[in-house]
Amino acid sequence: MAMSILHRATGIALYIGTLLLVIWLAAAAIGVEALDGVNGLYGNWFGQLVLFGYTWALFHHMLGGLRHFLWDNIIGMEPGEREKLAWVNLVGSIVLTLLVWTIFVWVG
Amino acid sequence: MREKVITTKTIANPETRYGDGKAATRHFVVQRWTGAVNVLLVGFLVWLVVRLAGADRAEMISIVANPIAGIVLAVLLVVALVHMRIGMVEIIEDYVLDPRTNRLSLMLNTLFCLGVGLIGVIALLKLVIWG
Repeated sequence: MAMSILHRATGIALYIGTLLLVIWLAAAAIGVEALDGVNGLYGNWFGQLVLFGYTWALFHHMLGGLRHFLWDNIIGMEPGEREKLAWVNLVGSIVLTLLVWTIFVWVG
Repeated sequence: MREKVITTKTIANPETRYGDGKAATRHFVVQRWTGAVNVLLVGFLVWLVVRLAGADRAEMISIVANPIAGIVLAVLLVVALVHMRIGMVEIIEDYVLDPRTNRLSLMLNTLFCLGVGLIGVIALLKLVIWG
C-alpha cells in the first residue's frame, strides 16, 4: 500500500524533475552565462539537496518498476514475498543513492 | 454503456468500456517497454550527469556534441517522456473524476510532455550541430 503510493509519488517527482534536465540542456544551448547561472543554482546546498532527492526517486522508481516486471510474470506475489520485495526496493534505493553520491560526489 | 454500480464484473466486461477502451492495453504494453529501456539507459544518464555536473560549456559540448551521446540522450529523454505521460494519464484517470477537469488535465499533461520534449531535443540538436 505505502509502496504503491511511493511508486506514484516518486513518479510524479521524476515527472517534474525532467524540467531540471531540460533546463540544464537548454542553458548549455543558449550560452556560457545561462549555463553558469544554472550550474550556480544546482550547485548550491538547496540544488544539491533536490538532486540528491531526485537520485533517490529515480532509483526507487526504477526498482519499483523491476518489481512490477516480476509481478507481471507472477513471481513474488505471495504474502511475505511481497513484503520482502518492498523492503528490498526501499533499502536498495537508499543504498544505490548513497553509493552513487559517495563515489561520484563526496569522494570523486 | 456504463453501469451504475461498478463491480469487478463491470471492469472485466469489454462492452462496458471501463477505462480507456482504445488505449488502455497499448498504454500497459508501452509503459513496460519504455520502462525497460529506461532501466537500460539509467546508467548512461547517471554517468553523463555526474561527469558534467558543474562543468563549463566547452567541456559539456565536448561530451554532449558527440552524436552518439547526443542521440542516446535524446532517445532517453523522449522514451522517459512517453513513460511519464502514460503514468500521469493513469493518475488522472484514478483521481480526477470530474469530466471537464479530467479532459483539461489530460490535455495539460500532453502539452507539458510535448513542451519538455521539444525544448530538450532542440537544445540537443543545437549543441550537436552548432556547438
